[in-house]
Order: sequence, then C-alpha cells, then structure tokens
Amino acid sequence: MALVQQIQLQGDSGARGSARRLAGSPALRLVGRRLLAAIPVLIGVTFLTFSVMNALPNDTAQAILGLQASPAAVAALNHTLGLDQPFFTQYWHWLSHVLQGNLGTSVQGASVNHELAVHLPVTLELLAYALLVPLLFSIIVAVLAARKPNGLMDRFSLAVSMLGLSIAPYAFAFILIVVFAVKLQWFPVISGSVGTTPVSFLKATTLPAAAIGFPLFAIYTRLLRGDLVEQMQREDYIVTAKAKGVPPWRVLIRHALRNSLFTLITVVGLNLGGLIGAVAIIETVFTVPGIGQDLLTGISNRDVPLIEAIVLVFAIMTVLGNLLADLAYAVLDPRIRYGRSTS
Amino acid sequence: MAAPLPEAAFVAAGPPPPLPSLVSSRKLRTQRLGRTLRLWIPAGLLLALLALCFVWPLVYHIPSSTNGNIINADAPPLSPGAWLGTDQNGVDEFSQLVYGGQVSFEVFIAVTAIGMVLGSCIGIIAGYFGGWVDAVLSRVLDILIAFPALVLALAIAEGLGPSEFHVILAISVFSIPAFGRVTRGATLVLRELPFMVAARLAGARRWRIILRHIVPNILPGILTFSLLGIGIVIILEGALDFLGYGVPPPTATIGAMIANGQQTMTVTPEYVLIPSIFLLLVVVSVNMLGDALRERWGVQ
Repeated sequence: MALVQQIQLQGDSGARGSARRLAGSPALRLVGRRLLAAIPVLIGVTFLTFSVMNALPNDTAQAILGLQASPAAVAALNHTLGLDQPFFTQYWHWLSHVLQGNLGTSVQGASVNHELAVHLPVTLELLAYALLVPLLFSIIVAVLAARKPNGLMDRFSLAVSMLGLSIAPYAFAFILIVVFAVKLQWFPVISGSVGTTPVSFLKATTLPAAAIGFPLFAIYTRLLRGDLVEQMQREDYIVTAKAKGVPPWRVLIRHALRNSLFTLITVVGLNLGGLIGAVAIIETVFTVPGIGQDLLTGISNRDVPLIEAIVLVFAIMTVLGNLLADLAYAVLDPRIRYGRSTS
Repeated sequence: MAAPLPEAAFVAAGPPPPLPSLVSSRKLRTQRLGRTLRLWIPAGLLLALLALCFVWPLVYHIPSSTNGNIINADAPPLSPGAWLGTDQNGVDEFSQLVYGGQVSFEVFIAVTAIGMVLGSCIGIIAGYFGGWVDAVLSRVLDILIAFPALVLALAIAEGLGPSEFHVILAISVFSIPAFGRVTRGATLVLRELPFMVAARLAGARRWRIILRHIVPNILPGILTFSLLGIGIVIILEGALDFLGYGVPPPTATIGAMIANGQQTMTVTPEYVLIPSIFLLLVVVSVNMLGDALRERWGVQ
C-alpha cells in the first residue's frame, strides 16, 4: 500500500499548486515517471544478457560453419557478424540499432524483427488466454471460499491452490496430454500453429494455456482468498457495512473484493515478466511456435540478437505490467482518479 | 516459477486476533491439535522423504540408478526385484528416484543457503544504511529480478558445462535478489520501530544493532520465505534437467526421469507420473510446512 500513499502524496501536491495541475492528471504523471524509471532497468537487463552471452566461449561462427571450417573462414564470418569488435562497441551498436527499431539479424540470417512479428503474436495470444481465464476463475473461487472461511468450498480451494503451487508445470503438462489429448482426444497433442479461427485457436492453445495458467490460478486464488478473509475479519468498514444491514454478498463483493483487487493486480503485474520461463518450457512441450521456443533454440545456437530481443520483450512486459497495475489502481481508487486525498 | 515478491510482506504482524470468547475448551483443544498436525504432518513427510533419499541407500542394497540390463527393460511397477518397475533401458525406477531425489535435496539446500546468506546481507545493508547505498543496491536487485532466470541458468550450463555445482550457481543468482528484496523491505519496516531508535540512542554500534536487533527479528520471516521459495527452486532444477541443461547423465535426476518418460508417455504414463508425484510430494510438504510456520510465528 506504500504505492497508494505515494500516489496520494502526489495528489496532494497536485491539488496545492494550480500550475502543477496543468502538468496533467496524477495518473499521467505517474505513467511518465514509471516509464523514465524503467529505462535504466531495461538497459541493465539487456546489458547483463549481452555480458552473459559474451562471457560464453564464443564459437557462434564455428557453430554455423561446422567443425571442418578453416580458421580464416571463421574469422571472416566473425567479422561479418561483427563479433570481432570490442564488447562495448558491440553493445552500443546493438543498442543504437534497437533505438531505431531494428533488432538486428539473427545468426541464422533472418531478421529478428520478422521473427518476432511472426512468433510474438502467438505467444501473446497464448499468454492472454493463460492469464485472463485463470484470473476470472480465481476471483470466482476466492469469493466463494471467503464467503465461509473453513467451510467446504474454502478447504477445497485451499487444497486445489496448494496443488497448483506445488506441481511442476512440465509435469502437469504431461498429465494434461495423457488425459485430454491421448485418452479423451479432445485436443491435439502438438499445437503446431494456433490456427486462425476461434475454434482452432481454442483447440490448439487450451492445453498449453492450462499448463501455464494453473499455477497462476493457484497463486491468485490463495492471495485473494487470504486478503478477503482478513478484511472481512479485521476492517472497520466491513463492520460498518454489516451494521448498516448490507447483505453479506454485497459486503463481500462491493466492499471487500474491491479492495482486495489492488493486491491481486499488483501481483499480476509483477508476475508478467517472470512468465518467460514457464512459456519457454510449455511452448517446447507443446511445440507452440512462439518466442519461448525461439529463446531455447537461440540459447543453444548462441544467437545473441534473438535472445536479446526476446529478453527485451519480456522486460518491457514486466515494466508495462507494473504500469498497467498502477493505472488499474487509478481506475479502482477514486482518490487517485480525482487527484486528491479524501482522507 | 512465477512467484510474487512481496516488498514488505511480512514482519508487520497484524494486530493479535480477538480473544476467543465463549469458546468451549473442547473446541480450543481441537484447534490446538489441528495446529500441531498442520506443522508435524508436512514436517514428518519431509523427514521421511529425506530419509528415503539419504539413509535408505545406506541401509538397504538397491539396484544401480545408472546401469541396467536391457533384458529387464520396461518392467511394470510392482514386478519382482523392482517395485516401481524399470525404464526403457532396464534401469530401476526406484533407485533413480532415490538418487535423483538426493540431487534435488542437495540443490535446494545449497541454493537456499547461498540465497539466504548473501541475499540477506545485501537486503540488510540496503535497508539499514539507506541513502545512495540503498539506491544502488536496489537498482541492482531490480535488474537481477527483471532478468529472466532461465536465460542465465541455461547460459551458465551452456558456457561452463553442465554439472550439479553450476546448476546450484545458476539458480542461486536468481534466489539472491528475491531474498535481498524481502530482507530490505523487512529491515526498512524495522528501522522505524521504537526499539531501534532506543538502541541507537543507547549508543549501540551499527553492527551490534544489525546482529542483535535486526537479524533475530527478520529471521522467522526469512525462514518461512525460504520454505516457500524451495518449491520454486526444486521445480526450476527439474526444469533445467528436463531441458537437458541440468545435472548431466548418467546421474539420475527427477527432471531427466520425466523427460525420458515423455517419450513413451502414451503407452506407459507411469514413467512420467512416478517422478512427478515424488516431486509434488516434496514441494507440497515444503509449502505446507512454510504455511504452518507462518501461522505459528505470526508472519504474514
């Protein structure tokens, strides 16, 4: 909740000076500040990736040309790829190209921009599916569970979320394949492509999305349920609402859930960037042609431009996720929306 | 894999729950029994699994976990001589589980120890000294957290060659910032509390304050956080093995067992199920132990 206070403080200062108010709404200023603060993190992350990949024994050219290649040919290819230049020159070269919107050429010779244009939408669609559906389910389950703490539904939700937290995503993926693709044959084992029609999209992505989404569902449910139960027991406004004679359901949804969503949104935003690992593994298991699979092939090929691009995409997603969380705060909290503190 | 990183999630234990009034003594007793069971059942399960992996092979003779006879291949579970069956190469599943479990336990103990010690040092220094020290350390932690752990782990395995030590190294790099951030948040909260001010006014030295006042107060929180993180470490270690970047063969690992089982998954799902269930049992018991300790110590 420190963030809320921070925003409130900003809101106060905004209300004080009318000149400051011209600078825009507090939400907009927050966006600007967040984006500025993200720049060093993005540079740091890409630089770190660059250093790590550079610290590896560098045999990219050798890997492309094969073991029989003559040293001269290897040196020539290294020169063409720009791998013989000093480390900082290489990074600066890459960075200046990225700022111009050119992500470089992968060692396979294809343009990384093109690669991303083809594979990124696949991953984004999969992620959206794997994020939104569990989110919806977790809100429903958590509310049902929090209605009666220690009741049947609550115990059930705790058991399911403990299972989701503890199961390895790849193991869960195989169980899904055995049950739903092999035994029941509802879905294909291999996704291959996500298809174009909604039906083919659902067929191809439901299992991978379930494998990514189940642990997320577990985290969200646990978090939201805990927060709801605590609010219902401790907070004064809940007591007030109950005393006013507001029906229990309404207290739970309009008073408690509305507040608990803040915590949930923060965690969703924070988690977004960390999904890269799960995406890479699950896409490989189901052979979904997304950037997660590209990442793994990129690492085994020492394909620095490709890896950099994918790491950058996920770092930007982390930053945007946090930003969206902040904006969602502004929508949900009227104190932030109107730019002043009511308390 | 995707773990929330609470900034100052614990330490500030909420107000004590209202005194249970008009509760029968029998109900109180059941509550107490429930609390004890919630702690000791997962703890017992974890101890049993540890004993299975480390003590069992010392006491009983079990078949090799790396070599098998192809004549015995594909024995179903509960067959004589191999009660969990054998894999495609005739290697005993149970001994693979035992030795693979050893690797999992060793990795998580080492990673947690490294992450806890180094991460807490960084977090306490950042939180206690504040100012530019905090600014620099926090940015470093931010970058490390935004940096995808899997990329680094795979790169380390590719570059340094796969080995158990390198797996530990790779996963530690990602557990250190997690511990760092949590300790920093906890230290920041503690720093403003009256007893800290009192200690400073009494003229206690910085290191004394850190060792005598900060460390004991954040320790329960860090311990429970580490228990919740262990599940992630075990799953990540399995993922590295599964992708072929983990502990190299012929050493048996749980992740490699799952990856091998995948090839014949449609015919013999038990090769995937058995190691998955083992992994699940370990992680569930660790997570439940973490929950129970959290409840007992009043950490949030």
